[in-house]
Amino acid sequence: MTDKIKKFLESDLLEKYLLGTTSTEETLKVERYIAIHPEVNKTYIELQDNLEIFAKLHAMDTPDGLKNKILDRVKAEKKSHSKFYRYIAVACSLAFLFAAASFFFWNQNKSLKEENTIVNNKMKTIEDNMKQQLEDVRNQFIVLNNPKTKRYNVKGNTKAKELKAVAYINPVKKLSYINVKNIPNLPEDKCLQMWAEVDGKMINIGIIKDISDKDKLLALPYGDNAVGYITIEPKGGNKTPTVENIVANISYAN
Amino acid sequence: MSTLLEKHIVELLQDRDEKAISLLYDHYGDTLFGVANKVVRNEELAQDVLQESFVKIWKKADSYDSSKAKLFTWLFRITRNTAIDKLRSVNTKSDKEIQIDVSDVYNLGTESTKPELMDVKDNLNKLEPKYQIVLEALFFEGMTQQEASEELNIPLGTIKSRLKIGLRELKKIYGSTTLTLLIIFLL
Repeated sequence: MTDKIKKFLESDLLEKYLLGTTSTEETLKVERYIAIHPEVNKTYIELQDNLEIFAKLHAMDTPDGLKNKILDRVKAEKKSHSKFYRYIAVACSLAFLFAAASFFFWNQNKSLKEENTIVNNKMKTIEDNMKQQLEDVRNQFIVLNNPKTKRYNVKGNTKAKELKAVAYINPVKKLSYINVKNIPNLPEDKCLQMWAEVDGKMINIGIIKDISDKDKLLALPYGDNAVGYITIEPKGGNKTPTVENIVANISYAN
Repeated sequence: MSTLLEKHIVELLQDRDEKAISLLYDHYGDTLFGVANKVVRNEELAQDVLQESFVKIWKKADSYDSSKAKLFTWLFRITRNTAIDKLRSVNTKSDKEIQIDVSDVYNLGTESTKPELMDVKDNLNKLEPKYQIVLEALFFEGMTQQEASEELNIPLGTIKSRLKIGLRELKKIYGSTTLTLLIIFLL
């Protein structure tokens, strides 16, 4: 037996451990000694046996009825224990239901809000479009009915002889419109695009899609000394006009 | 000494079967009642202690680890600690006055009338009082060896040696009855 073990056995750590009065640190130490050293383990087993023997020497008859009291208390404990867990379970499921319902309503609220925003935006777009269209129609009416309005007949050059259009320019109201009456047959990959040169800048007015547009008045940006152009461009339109493909120009300078 | 009965009881305890408590009471009730009574020195209080101890045993069933202690050691710890707590709560004022009354040692046998234990009681009386006092102080009174040394006015070294000799003597006296006791407790 090493001195270390001897010293350990001479201390009252093992006895304290036997009675369950060791601190956590001491418990770990004792349990380590018991696990590692067979002598300590043997002493511990002997101590336990002796304790049992010694305790049994002091056994006393328990009073009648004490056993039933104890069993009743244990049963009550068991019941309240399971009752407790039942309450916990009920509380848990209620909490879960509440959480699920909260999430559902929150989610619904969120999607309703999103929908509301979308509807509002749509309404605003429609309103803006309507205003725009109304303004356009009003301007068209003004242009067509105003005595100051000048009417220009536009014809295509040799590249597009079939092109016929009428431009309405009103310098007083500073409005200009063009009405394309007829467009030439173009190859599949070409289209007619309108431009306006205002203050030296080329502005894209749009593509003349087909002859069904013939009753429509296309607004032209007005400018003093403005010139309108129609060019043949690749299908889908171009960013800048191809000068050599100009088929018509509308000079509505005063 | 982990018997089949102990294993059976532990299994029942861990299965939350209250039959375990009934079996524990039948096999250890008298001993634990004696332990409680030795600590609180009052049979009424000892009954309360035993009730509370069994409730604790039931509640703490999961914490029992058979690799760390014998079933009895575990039961003893719970009962002894419950009894010490009880004594403190009931009698905090006179806590300091609790002393080892030597006459108690001789009264032991009269409290129990269990015929099968009579031999054992006789044996206990064969153990010299000086060893009994030390064993009781350490095992039942909740004293450390140092406290027992101060309380009994015996040097620490003597406490240590009396504990060791006392236990050895006990085993010697006891050797012949161990088997009988074992059989009694197994039945």
